[in-house]
Amino acid sequence: MTAGPVFAVVGHPNKGKSSVVATLSQNDAIAIALEPGTTRQSQTYPLTVDGEALYTLVDTPGFQRPRKVLEWLEAHSLAASDRAETVAAFVTQYRNEPRFNDECELLTPVIDGAGIIYVVDGSVPYSAENEAEMTILRWTGQPSLALINSIGPDDYSDTWQAALGQFFQVVRRFDAVRAPFDQHLSLLKAFGQLEPLWEQPLERAVRHLRDQRLRRREQTAGLIARALEDMMVWREQRTFTAGGLPVQPDGELAANLRERWYKHQRQREQTLRLTIERLYQHNQIKRQEAELTWHSNHDLFSEKSRRVWGVSRAYLTTAGFGAGALGGVGIDAVTLGTSLGAGALVGGIIGAAGSYFYGDRLTLSALKLGPLREGLQTASFGPVQDSQFGYIILGRAIDHWWHISHRNHAGREPLDLVPTESHWLQHLNRGSRHTIQKCFDKCRKNKELDDNSRQELALAIGSALDAYDEWRLNPA
Amino acid sequence: MPKATLTLLLDFDDQVQKDHSQAAAFLHRRDRKFALSCQADGRPPGPATWLAHLGGFSGKQAVGGPDMRLRVWRRVTFAFIAVGTLLGVLTMLGLLFYDGSGQINITVILGFVLLQIILAVLTSLQSLLGWRPWGQLPDVLARRFGRAEPSGAILRRLQPQLSARAAHAGGLAFGVSGLLTLLGLVVVQDLAFGWSTTLSTAPETFHRLVHTLALPWQGLWSAAVPSPELVADSRFYRIAPFYQIENTGGSTAPARWGDWWPFVAMVWLFYIILLRLVLLIVAITHLELRARRLLARHPGLTTLLYRMETPALETGNAHSDAADQPRMDTSIQTQPLPDARVAIRWAGAGDENLACSLLSGARPVVLAAGGAAALAEDHTSVEQARLSLGTGGPETVLILTRAWEPPTGELADFLSEAFQHWPRTARIALVPIGAAAGAEPPEHQVAQWLRFIERLANNRLSVSLTPGEVT
Repeated sequence: MTAGPVFAVVGHPNKGKSSVVATLSQNDAIAIALEPGTTRQSQTYPLTVDGEALYTLVDTPGFQRPRKVLEWLEAHSLAASDRAETVAAFVTQYRNEPRFNDECELLTPVIDGAGIIYVVDGSVPYSAENEAEMTILRWTGQPSLALINSIGPDDYSDTWQAALGQFFQVVRRFDAVRAPFDQHLSLLKAFGQLEPLWEQPLERAVRHLRDQRLRRREQTAGLIARALEDMMVWREQRTFTAGGLPVQPDGELAANLRERWYKHQRQREQTLRLTIERLYQHNQIKRQEAELTWHSNHDLFSEKSRRVWGVSRAYLTTAGFGAGALGGVGIDAVTLGTSLGAGALVGGIIGAAGSYFYGDRLTLSALKLGPLREGLQTASFGPVQDSQFGYIILGRAIDHWWHISHRNHAGREPLDLVPTESHWLQHLNRGSRHTIQKCFDKCRKNKELDDNSRQELALAIGSALDAYDEWRLNPA
Repeated sequence: MPKATLTLLLDFDDQVQKDHSQAAAFLHRRDRKFALSCQADGRPPGPATWLAHLGGFSGKQAVGGPDMRLRVWRRVTFAFIAVGTLLGVLTMLGLLFYDGSGQINITVILGFVLLQIILAVLTSLQSLLGWRPWGQLPDVLARRFGRAEPSGAILRRLQPQLSARAAHAGGLAFGVSGLLTLLGLVVVQDLAFGWSTTLSTAPETFHRLVHTLALPWQGLWSAAVPSPELVADSRFYRIAPFYQIENTGGSTAPARWGDWWPFVAMVWLFYIILLRLVLLIVAITHLELRARRLLARHPGLTTLLYRMETPALETGNAHSDAADQPRMDTSIQTQPLPDARVAIRWAGAGDENLACSLLSGARPVVLAAGGAAALAEDHTSVEQARLSLGTGGPETVLILTRAWEPPTGELADFLSEAFQHWPRTARIALVPIGAAAGAEPPEHQVAQWLRFIERLANNRLSVSLTPGEVT
């Protein structure tokens, strides 16, 4: 592994150093808000591309005794020119001294050539006690940048900015929990500006991170497409020997199969969510909804989910028309246009009628009994005949993705998927709407999607992700 | 030896299915590393080398023998061949059934050959068009007779080609066994061929037909091309048995009736055996091409190539201390603010007036330490406090701190120094002050001070809040 620039993230204890590192390294397993003074070791977080480290972040313990260190430094320095050496001498002298363990840990990467990222909490008032720390860091002579990270609700950033400006080359504001992805990249670019040699690896890192984000979006679309297909065609079935079928199968058996069907669908949705979270390297999310029972508002089958994520019959009808017309165009092509578009029209009308008719049939899914064959009879439940169900899955999956993709790894709040009132599908282009509806119709008819259809569905869902992003960030 | 394309496809599909349970980051690292090693070695990374690479770790590479996933299809093919062989013998025996009462009708044999050609062409068409009239049959057979798993999605998609291959193999066996039976009968029996039809067909017309049919082997075996005389001589009629013809001096020579067998054998060879052989080769080639196409279009291959081409980006999320969280609870409680005459503002916490308001007595003493102050000032404050405390009875010193600032080692050092210099009866109460004037500090801020004194484990140390802030 080759070594790129190293950045030591330093500061007073509990001022958000670990939050900054967690967000930039996309690591939600870094303990944040540790008890002050309990972090005793530095920890490195390299960003590597094919094993080559483009940069490394070093999370360090906070300063514990800065005034004592500064007193020692001042006592052992003759001129400004020997300050960096004096700091190195301090580390050499006190490396094994428990009292100065934290200072040695945080100064070691800096005297080894690391850039300094000094983190302060902009939500608490400026304190002059930080000046000893900042002076020590200035003595090292290393390129430095100050980050104002606001942990609490109050804002004292302006005071901090004025004070930090006297000690650091660059001062940036960065909310480790809420900063959007573009700001992460912008901050990394700022790291690269600290030293000419660091610019190129940081630019490369930014490019790779941007590509990774695009890839994740594409992969998410594929994952959602696969889950949609699985859930739309899922059939729960049980086989009975002759005479083993309950006398009134519509009662207990139907309820039993329905319950199992519901359970499978919920599990599949959870699997999708976990996969997307893993894709975005969120491994520690507290998932409140896992504890909720199915009849709660957050459940896949709740009325609220239906109301929020379902679509109107008018939408279904127009989307169905488009999907049918796409099929009908094939007839027009075969007749070399002599049918004057009648194929598309008839296909559209059939599609619209089907979508309208099947647009609200979740409650109509019922037990189906197969014929008695070789002494065996099969009772089955599903696949769902309701296109709405597909839109509910889609809406919930995209909503979950959006929260995950915009969640910083410093975030420790439980994931809360708050529903909204207006509908995001209005932002989706017609072609994608029709593709999605066409796939739903195929699933409803229990037809297997071919590779082309799957690819088209994934592309349409990719557009849906963009539309949802647009809708969330720029609500009409 | 390179793997057959079908086996390669099935192996690839199996590996892709297995990979579904693996973390995406792991797969990316694994495949990217493989691609980079291929690049370093100067060999192109492809599914075969990829599988060989993965197989090298599991030891599967060395395992040979027939592919168990194709067992059902092998059995189906063998069944077709066995049934075809048997039917070939029976059919030829039926076609050449000769009890001396009538000639064997060449027209019937030609009609049967035509039927075979139609069946063979339909089989190939079914394969080319991807039609699956017996789609569920292999699965049903697998469940009923074998312990093999029903076919997977890939094999289901190749069913038309696999079934065409089996059917043509059966057809070939049918043709070969039929031809052998014909030759056997020619040797052991005196077969009398003739031709007959209800249609008003002249011998010349019939001759043109057989002559055309015999075009492929005209240059090879002239005896297998019926002459116009043979055609004219071997016509027979339903109402005119041969002995009547012979007795009435008909021109047909019974000795020539056997001359048809080379023609029959060649018709059988060319239009059944060779046709089936050609179609079998086409079916095998088609299966190979289709398997290659499925492999090339396999979604897993697209993903694999994507992983191989894309640099593996690790953002530094390998380290985890999520399970290493310190205890955040404490059994220590805040104490009511004690009476005190001396207060020290640590790092500029609170202000002079607030400090005075917390003290009792006629001459309250407010000192400063920590923060921007020099260490010498800390020592001075400790000394001044010692003088104020005197050597009297138990007394408490208040140390005001900023509630939001975490307690540091410097404060711990200061407390330690104070305890060393002050009388043994002296106590210290830390008083965290909230950021907003008059507002009590949040619970989590107070908790860090309680945990701080718990760690120091000194019973002369306590935490108090300003009046009205006791939690």
